[in-house]
Amino acid sequence: MFDWKLALEAIGILIYATFMGFIFMGIERKAIARIQRRVGPPIYQPIIDTLKLLGKKESVSHGFIYDFGPVFALGASIVALLFIPIANFQLFSSNADLIVVAYLLEVPMLGIMLGVMSSGNPYSAVGVQRGLLTMVAMQLPYGLAIIALVQHWGTFKLSNIVALQQVHGWSITVPALFLAFIVFDIVFQAMLGLEPFDIMTAPAEISMGVMLEYGGKHAAILFTQHAVQLFAETAFFAVLFLGGASNLLVLLVKQLVVLFIAIFVASIYPRFTIDQAAKFFWKWPTILGIIAVILTMGW
Amino acid sequence: MNELMIMLFAPLLAGFIAWIIDVRGIREAIGIIGAAIPLGILIQYYSTITGSNPHVEYSLSVGGFKLLFQLNTINWYFAVIASLVGVAMAFGMASTSRNSYEWLFALMSYTGVLGVFLSGDFVGFFLFWELMTFASFMMVLRRNKHESLKYFVLSVIGAYAMLIAIGIIYAKTGALDFASIRQALYMDAMVGSMSKSLTALVFLLFITAFGVKAGAFPLHVWAPGAYSEVDQSYTTFFSGALSKAGAYGFLLLYILMGAKLYAALGTWHGHMMFSYIIAWIGAITVVVASFLAVLQEDIRKLFAYSSVGQVGYILLGLGVGTGLGITGALFHVLSHAVFKGLFWLVVAALILRTGKTEFKDFGGLAEKMPVTFAMALIAVMSLSGIPPFAGFASKWLIYEAAISAHMPLVAGAIFLGSGLAFAYVVRFLYAVWFGQRPSDLEDVKEAPLPLLIGMFILAIPNLVFGIAPGLVTKYLNKLFGQTVVGGTYYKLVTPTGTYNALLVTVLLIFGIAVAGLIYIYGAKARRIPITNTYQSGNPVTEDYNLSIRRNFYRPLAEALEFWLKYSWDRFYERLAGMFEDFADFLREGFYNGNVQSYSWYLAIILLILALWGVL
Repeated sequence: MFDWKLALEAIGILIYATFMGFIFMGIERKAIARIQRRVGPPIYQPIIDTLKLLGKKESVSHGFIYDFGPVFALGASIVALLFIPIANFQLFSSNADLIVVAYLLEVPMLGIMLGVMSSGNPYSAVGVQRGLLTMVAMQLPYGLAIIALVQHWGTFKLSNIVALQQVHGWSITVPALFLAFIVFDIVFQAMLGLEPFDIMTAPAEISMGVMLEYGGKHAAILFTQHAVQLFAETAFFAVLFLGGASNLLVLLVKQLVVLFIAIFVASIYPRFTIDQAAKFFWKWPTILGIIAVILTMGW
Repeated sequence: MNELMIMLFAPLLAGFIAWIIDVRGIREAIGIIGAAIPLGILIQYYSTITGSNPHVEYSLSVGGFKLLFQLNTINWYFAVIASLVGVAMAFGMASTSRNSYEWLFALMSYTGVLGVFLSGDFVGFFLFWELMTFASFMMVLRRNKHESLKYFVLSVIGAYAMLIAIGIIYAKTGALDFASIRQALYMDAMVGSMSKSLTALVFLLFITAFGVKAGAFPLHVWAPGAYSEVDQSYTTFFSGALSKAGAYGFLLLYILMGAKLYAALGTWHGHMMFSYIIAWIGAITVVVASFLAVLQEDIRKLFAYSSVGQVGYILLGLGVGTGLGITGALFHVLSHAVFKGLFWLVVAALILRTGKTEFKDFGGLAEKMPVTFAMALIAVMSLSGIPPFAGFASKWLIYEAAISAHMPLVAGAIFLGSGLAFAYVVRFLYAVWFGQRPSDLEDVKEAPLPLLIGMFILAIPNLVFGIAPGLVTKYLNKLFGQTVVGGTYYKLVTPTGTYNALLVTVLLIFGIAVAGLIYIYGAKARRIPITNTYQSGNPVTEDYNLSIRRNFYRPLAEALEFWLKYSWDRFYERLAGMFEDFADFLREGFYNGNVQSYSWYLAIILLILALWGVL
């Protein structure tokens, strides 16, 4: 009864995703360094960082929830990843659809915040507040982009969306969905926590905000979580708008394209303040999203 | 005596006995038994309800009317939710109630709600509706007169709007029982003897009536005040079950008048006009109430607005109008009842143990009340829609329904609403449970046992129906006589999507286990106090309050400044003020104590009569 092949595939993808997620983080740092005419760290730097954090002799804790928060966040990221069809590996994607995955991609945020809040640090609290307000702000255009997509393809199942795109062409070749793609790409910047929407961490303003109190193995778990999340989100993007992929290499190219757009945008824009971000999200992306949704309805 | 009647009047009777005996200990026991009887009887009926002929009936002749009580698929569902919440309320009240007055009216409203759900005709429906309103009004009156009157006036407006609507229907169809009305209006949908404008009027009157109870925008203004100013254990029932009477009313509107409204009001871009209106009322309620919940500074107000917002989801699901939408809405009735009931019990425990209600006075209670905190966490997860809790399964159905019925903007509103729900539950978690503990909360104890039992009663369904949502949807499929949501007990399958709750649970446990391995691999963690923290490298002492407890979401308030200038609350207050002034004006103008003006009135009347030709 137990499906060994599926279990092995899932574990394989998990290891691959974690590794590639770290590499993506490395690429991010390298690319930003090159944009600023620096050499930058080697591309595998985040892996070294994480291993160093895991090797710390001591870590501190503020209580059970403080420990549980990052663990829960990483767990939820892993679940989200396993429900996305990764290239030719369908994994568990027939068991959960777009709405479930979209929700699961937000759950880690709650896990992190849960842990962070229990530290009782004021900077962390400001980070939590900013993070949640960003989420509230981006939720409306994000929802509209997803709705446009679902209305056009007529299904919530991610594997069906991929299959339909392989027959009828990628989502972005449809004019209405191209608008949705622009909206999603703006929101994506906030999902990845990159400028101009890196309001939650904002290193220069609130000294890393949410991550502030975490060190040692807790930080290592959060780094790993970020890596898995980065991989899952870029794959999610590729599945929704870029026609998925038939093998891991094609998927990797698409993920890198998505990532590079995000990096280029991030490296030239300064950070928004939180109220500017809210006002921005509720203006242009929302208007574009509404237009996209109305176009997909066909009237 | 029929079992239906025992079930209906057991709480009322228990309330009276508890009121008369009024001995601490005995009245609690009687109250709990009285509240538990309906649940027991309803569970016994389960095999009948799920059998081939799901129908139990009892009629009673009172005052020239024949009251018909019945139990069928849909009634049973609502009644069992109400009685589950009722039992939890009784356990909670065993800890928090201060006198027998509260037992009397709390259990009276329980009977009222059950009566509303079980009535098979408008006479019983209206009688129990009024009983429910009166009892809940008396509960609020005990604490706060202004809020209770606000609630009462709005409820009375709703109730009499309903009475007028019933009158019109009675005049047109000559029937008061639901079955005949349904049939008559169904026939009338084809014949069209009831005019369009009259149908629209009846629709408007019913929406007002049920909208008030459900707390739909813009009739929600009573909710924050009324939900806060009662014993919080009672609010478990007030917001968990009593507000569902409004949702049930909307459903009744579909059952009785669906065809007629469709025929009379037509469609708008492929949506039934009347249900589209309900969907938008729901969507606006979700967004407005959730925004307001985020900005509250009082724990009870926050959850009051959150209740209003969540009932908005139910209206929205009903408004979508497809089988999927109604299933989602009914599922949300259940999940909202269990998670919001749980929230209010947690609030009751907090208020009982600390005596405080504002966020600025709380902090760091997770260590002092660990079990209550665990319960609060379950409620938080369920409300914010984390798979695999009941709140997610029902919201998921509503999402699917709204998007596949091509109501994109309505669906956009619930996306926004779910983001806001995240924001306000985190506010609650942060301010109450985490951070520095104020020195006056040092000797806070864990919640008392009966309250904890009440919490467990509501926490278990959150988990069970979350992991096995099929239990609910399979039951609801019976309502439509066909498979609306397919799948197994653990897996929901709609025509367009799937959600396997058990697999999500298993993978979540797997994911947490993997993360836990990394955690265990790392060096052992040393526990440090919460005040040993980063403060730009400065030392921190106990004297500094480092937790942000006031105006947590100030930037949001600033971003919304323009919209927050307008308030329905103030609008109604001003309207009430104008009426009061007008009444004063009439009184002072006409009853002026001047004999000459009274003789002038006589002369004017005589003149009118003369002009009329009577004299």
